[in-house]
Amino acid sequence: MVRLLHTADWQIGKLFGQFDRDEAALLADARFKAVERLANLANEQRVDLVLVAGDIFDAQAVADRTIHRLFNAMAGFSGRWVLLPGNHDAALAESVWTRAARLQAIAGNVSLCLTPETLFLTSLGVAILPAPLTQRNTFSDLTEWFASARTPAGMLRIGLAHGSVQGILAEAVDSANPIAAGRAEQAGLDYLALGDWHGTRRVDARCWYSGTPETDRFRANDSGQALLVELNEPRALPTVRAIGTGRHRWRSDSQALQVPSDLEALLQRIAGYAANDVVQLSLSGQTDLAGQRRLRDAIGQAQGRVHSLLADVSALRLEPTSEDIDALQADGYLAEVVAELRAAQEVSDAQTARDALSLLAGILDDRRRGVGAGGAP
Amino acid sequence: MKLTRIRLEQFRQFRQALEIGDLQAGINVFTGPNEAGKSTIVAAIRAAFFERHRSNCVDDFRPWGDSAASPTVELDFTIGGGDYRLTKSFLGKKRCELSVGTQALDGDDAEDHLARLLGFQHAARGASKAEHWGIPGLLWIEQGSGQEVGEAVKNATDHLRTALNESLGEVAGGGGDEVMAAVEAARNELLTVARAAPRGPYDEALKQANSLTGELRGVEAEVATYRQKVDALGLLRREHARDQAEKPSTRFREQQQAASDQLAAIQRIEEARAAEKLRAGEIEERIKLLRGQLDAFASQRQAAQTRATELESARQAQSAAAALVGQWMAQRTEAIARYEGARETLRLARQEDTRRGLTRQFDELRLKIDGSASALARADAEQATVIELRRQAVACEIGPADLEALREQYRQIRELRIRQQAAATRLHFTLDDGRRIEVGGESLAGTGELLLVEATTVIVPGFGTLVIEPGGTDLAQLGRQESELGDRHAALLQRLGLPSLDAAEARQQTHTQRLAEITTAAATLKALAPQGVDSLRSDLAALQARGGEIEATLRRLPPAVDCTAAPAPVSEAEASEEAAEKSLTAINDSLHSAQLAAGNAQTTFEGATRELASARALLDAPDRAEREATANRDLTDARAEQCTLSGRIEALRQQVSEARPEILKQDVERFRKSAEQHEKSFSERRDTLIRLDVELQAAGAQGLEERRAELTRDLAQAQRRAEELRRRATALDHLLTLLRDKRRALTRRLQAPLQKHLNRYLQLLFPQASLEIDENLSPGPLTRIGASGSESSAFDNLSFGAREQMGLISRLAYADLLQEAGRPTLIILDDALVHSDDDRRAQMKRVLFDAATRHQILLFTCHPANWRDLGVGARSLQAIGAAS
Repeated sequence: MVRLLHTADWQIGKLFGQFDRDEAALLADARFKAVERLANLANEQRVDLVLVAGDIFDAQAVADRTIHRLFNAMAGFSGRWVLLPGNHDAALAESVWTRAARLQAIAGNVSLCLTPETLFLTSLGVAILPAPLTQRNTFSDLTEWFASARTPAGMLRIGLAHGSVQGILAEAVDSANPIAAGRAEQAGLDYLALGDWHGTRRVDARCWYSGTPETDRFRANDSGQALLVELNEPRALPTVRAIGTGRHRWRSDSQALQVPSDLEALLQRIAGYAANDVVQLSLSGQTDLAGQRRLRDAIGQAQGRVHSLLADVSALRLEPTSEDIDALQADGYLAEVVAELRAAQEVSDAQTARDALSLLAGILDDRRRGVGAGGAP
Repeated sequence: MKLTRIRLEQFRQFRQALEIGDLQAGINVFTGPNEAGKSTIVAAIRAAFFERHRSNCVDDFRPWGDSAASPTVELDFTIGGGDYRLTKSFLGKKRCELSVGTQALDGDDAEDHLARLLGFQHAARGASKAEHWGIPGLLWIEQGSGQEVGEAVKNATDHLRTALNESLGEVAGGGGDEVMAAVEAARNELLTVARAAPRGPYDEALKQANSLTGELRGVEAEVATYRQKVDALGLLRREHARDQAEKPSTRFREQQQAASDQLAAIQRIEEARAAEKLRAGEIEERIKLLRGQLDAFASQRQAAQTRATELESARQAQSAAAALVGQWMAQRTEAIARYEGARETLRLARQEDTRRGLTRQFDELRLKIDGSASALARADAEQATVIELRRQAVACEIGPADLEALREQYRQIRELRIRQQAAATRLHFTLDDGRRIEVGGESLAGTGELLLVEATTVIVPGFGTLVIEPGGTDLAQLGRQESELGDRHAALLQRLGLPSLDAAEARQQTHTQRLAEITTAAATLKALAPQGVDSLRSDLAALQARGGEIEATLRRLPPAVDCTAAPAPVSEAEASEEAAEKSLTAINDSLHSAQLAAGNAQTTFEGATRELASARALLDAPDRAEREATANRDLTDARAEQCTLSGRIEALRQQVSEARPEILKQDVERFRKSAEQHEKSFSERRDTLIRLDVELQAAGAQGLEERRAELTRDLAQAQRRAEELRRRATALDHLLTLLRDKRRALTRRLQAPLQKHLNRYLQLLFPQASLEIDENLSPGPLTRIGASGSESSAFDNLSFGAREQMGLISRLAYADLLQEAGRPTLIILDDALVHSDDDRRAQMKRVLFDAATRHQILLFTCHPANWRDLGVGARSLQAIGAAS
C-alpha cells in the first residue's frame, strides 16, 4: 500500500494588496507556514510521498530568499517530494526551478518533474507520469502521453498534472491548460493528482483536485486542505481523504439591511468572526444612525480581533430617524442639510451624499457626546 | 418713544437753562448756524442716557471756566404710554432721578432701568463708548458718521437679532457654525481652500499612488523583457538541441564531399582529353612541317627553271647594252672632233677681234696724245706769259704812300713855283731866228718867256753874259724851299728810280695794266690746264705710256691669218662652240648610262649564272628523291593519326559536358556554404544561449515578479487610501457647500422682515433696486437696474453720498424692525445727508417723512433751506435760546 499526500497551488510569493500592509505580510507568510504544516502532516500520516501538482510558486522571478525559504519549509518531511511545475511556475528555459537548482536549494528527496518523462520510484513501486507545463499556457492536453507510457506491471501508475479538466469545472477557471475528462481511466492511471483549482474537488474516483493548502482568495470554495490518498494495489480504487491544512478562513459575507432584525443578525455574525478569519463584508440596504453606530463599533471591534476584515459599506444608505436627528441636535439649517443628504442618497451621486451624511452624523454625534460628556456632572 | 421736552442747564455753552418743549411725534427740525448748540443738545441727550451720573469723565460737559457747575439735563418722554421724566446732573451735583408716572427711581437703578428699556449698556468704568450704545447708537446718528453703519450695527446686533427672531442667533452661534467649522477644517486638510485641489494627506496619497504606478510600469516592462528573454531562451534551446541531434552541417559536408569527388573524376577525364588534345596539336604541327618539306622540294624545282629563264634574259640584256655602248663611243668621237673645230674657230675669231680693238685704241690714243701735247704747249706758253707779266707787274709796282708823297711834293713844288713865278722876274724873249741864248745854262730859241726866280746868268751868245737877279728875299726863301723840296722830291724819285711824278703816275698805270693782264692770262691758263700744267704733263705721259703698251701688244700679236673668208664674228663662233660642247656632254652622258647599263647587265648575268648553278646543284643532290618520298609517306601516316585522335577527343568532351562540372562546382560551394552557415549559426546560437542564460540568471536573482507583486500590493493599498481620501474629500466638500448654502438660505429667510422694511425705503430711492443684508445684518451689496442691466456693487465701494443714504435707510429699517419688536425708537439726525445732491435729498425726504409716520425724528441742521418741505416748521435754536 502506498500512502501519499496530494497537494497543489501553494502560490509561494503571492502578496495580498487588498489588505493592509501588516495583514498582507502575514497572509504571504502564511503560505510558507502551510508548507511547514504539510511537511508535519506528511510525517504524522507517515506518507510515502508528497505530490505537489503545480503552481508551487506564484511567479517565476521571485527573490532568492523566497526560494530558499520554501525549500527550508519543506525540510520537515524527509520522504519523497514530487514537484510539478504549473502555469505560474512553468518549466521554461529559465525558470524558478532552474534558479532553485543553481542556488542548490533543492534537497535530495525532492524530485522535480520538469519534463514529461516517467519518474520511477522503484522502492515505492510507483511510476509517476508528470505533465509539466513548459509554457505559461498551452492549449494542448499535456496528459495525452500518459496512455502510451509503459510502466512495469505491478507498479502503481500515478498521473500528476496541472490544468482544467474539460467540461467539469466552471468556465471562469484561470487556466487555459486543458486536461481531457476521464484521463485517469483512459490512461490506466491508479490516481491522477491535479492542481490549478484552488478548492478541493473530486473529478472522478481516481482524479482529484487537492486545492490549495492555504486559502488565498475569497471565492475559492473548500480550499485550505490536502488530500491523503491510499492506494492499496494497482487498479484498486484509491481512498481519498481531505485533511484541513489552512490556517485562515476566508469568508466573503454580504448582507442587505432591510429591517432592524437584519442588523441584529449581522452584528451577531460579525461577533462570530474568529481570529484567523479573513473577511470581506459587503453591506447594502439602509440603516439609521444608531444602527450605523453600532455597526461601526462592531466592525471596529472585529477588525481588532480577526486577521483581516474588509468592510464595504458604500452601498449602505443612512436613514436617520427623526429620533436620530433629535438626538443629533441637528437644528436650524443642519437639519435641512441632513434632510437633503438623506434625500440625495436615492439619486445621482448617492455615494457622495451617503458619505457626507455619514460624516455629518459622525461630527454631530461626536459633538453631542462631547457636549454630553462635558455637561454631565 | 417720544421725547416731549429737553432742558439743559450749565451744559457747555448753555450756562443758562435752555428748554425745548412741545416736541412733536413726527419730524422735529432744529436749525441754527454753526456753534449755535445743535451738537450740544444732541450730546446732552446722549449724556443723559449713556453716561453714569457719577462719572468723572464728563468734564467737557461743564461750561468753560465754571468748575463748580453741575451740568444738568432734563428730559421728558413717553414710552408705551408711560410718561417719563429723567433728570441727570453731573460733576457738581451728581444726581439721577427717573419718574415714571407715580414710580420714581434714582441713582444706578434709574440708569439701569433706562439701559434695559432703550437697549444700551453703561461703561463699566470711564466714559461711555460706541460699543455700549446699542440701539440708540444705531438710531442716533452723530454728525459726520451717517455713512458708517457696520460698527453701529455690530453694537446693536443682539438687539436686532432679538427683534428679528430668537432662532436667528442660533444660525451663527448655535451648533451649525461649529459643525461647519469642523467640516471646513476637515475639508481643508484634504483640499486647498481656493481651487479644491488635493493637498495634505490626500495629495500625498495620490502622489504615492502615481509614483507606485510609474514604478510598477517600469517593473512590468522589465518582467515583460525577462519573459521574452526566457521564451527566446527556450526557443533557442530547442533549436540548438535539434541541431545537435540532426547535425545538418555534417550532412551538408558529406554532400559537399560527394559532389567534390564527382567533380574530381570529371577533372581526370578532362585531363585525359587535354592530353589527347595536346597530341593532336603535335600531329598537326608535324603535318604542317611535312607539308612544308614537300613544298620546299617543289619550289626548288621551280626555282631552277626560273633561274634558267632569268639567265637567258640577262644574257640578252647584257649584249644589248654592250651594243649600245659601242654606238655611243662612235658618237662621242665625232662630237669631240666637232668641238675641237669649233674651239679653233672661236680662238681665231677672238684674236682678230683683239687686234682690231687694239688698233683702234692705238689710233684713238695717238689722237689724244697729240691733243694733249698741244694743250700742254699752249699752257706752258701762257704760264710763261703769266710769269712775265707778274715780273713786270712787280717791276712797275710803286707803293701808294710813295706815290701820294710824290704827288704832295709835286703839288707843293708847283705852289712854290707859282709863288716864285708870281714874285719872279719874267723874262720874255723873242729871239731872232737862228739866234739863241742861254739862260741859266739852257739854250733857248724862238720866243718864250721865262720866269727867273734866282740869279740867273743869261748868256747871250755873242754879246756876253747877263746875270739877272730877281729882287726880294721871299723869292730866295721860296727858292730854297723849292730846292729843298725839290731835293727831297728828287731823292724820292731817285729812290724810286723814277725821273718824275708823271713817270710815277705812268708806272702806276702800267702796274695796274699788268695786274689785269695777269688775271686774263691766269684765266686762260686755268682753262687750258684745270689741274695745272703738270697734270697735263703727266696725262700726256700716261697716254704716251699706254700708246707704247698698245703698240707693244700689237706687235706681239701673231700675224694675221690670211684667210680668204672674212673671219666669223666672235658671237657666232661662241654659239657654235657652245652647241658643240653641249652635244659632246649629252653624248658623254648617254655613253655613261649605256656603260652603266652594260655593267649592270653584266652583273645580273653573272648573278643569274651563279644562281642557276646553285639551283642546279640542289636539284642534283644525291638523297633528294629519297627524302621527298619519305616526307610524302610521313604525311599520310600523320593524317591518319589525326583523324583517330579527333574522334577520341570528341568522345571525351561529350563525357565531360554530360557530367556538368560547373553545376558540380556550384553544388560543392552550395553544400560547403550551407554547412558553414549552419555551423556559424550553431555557434552564434550557442553564444546567445550563454549570454541569455547569464542575463536571465542575473535578472532572476532580482526577483522581478515578486517585486512586481509587492508593487502591485503597495499600489493597491495606496490607491485604496487615495480613493478613501477622495471620497472623504468629496463628501466633506459637498457637505461644506451644502452647509453654506443652507445657512445662507436660512439667514436670508430670517432676515426677511428687515429686508422688507429696507426694501420699502429703498424703492423710494432706487426703484427695483435691492440691498442685501449680510449675516451681521449690515447692509451688503446694492444691486440696481442700470443701463447695462443689473449692476451690483459692494457697500464699501459705493460713493460717500450713496453710503450715507444707504446708511440712513438701513437705520430707518432697523428702527422699523425694532419698533415692531416693541422696542422704543427715537431717531436723531445731526446734520444728516449733507453729501446728498438735491434729487437724492428730495427722495430721502420722502423716506424720512414716511419713517416719521412711525418714529419721532429729531433733525438738526445748519441748512434750514434744505429741509423746508418736510411739512413741519423749523425751530431756530437761537430763538429758543433767547426765549429761555
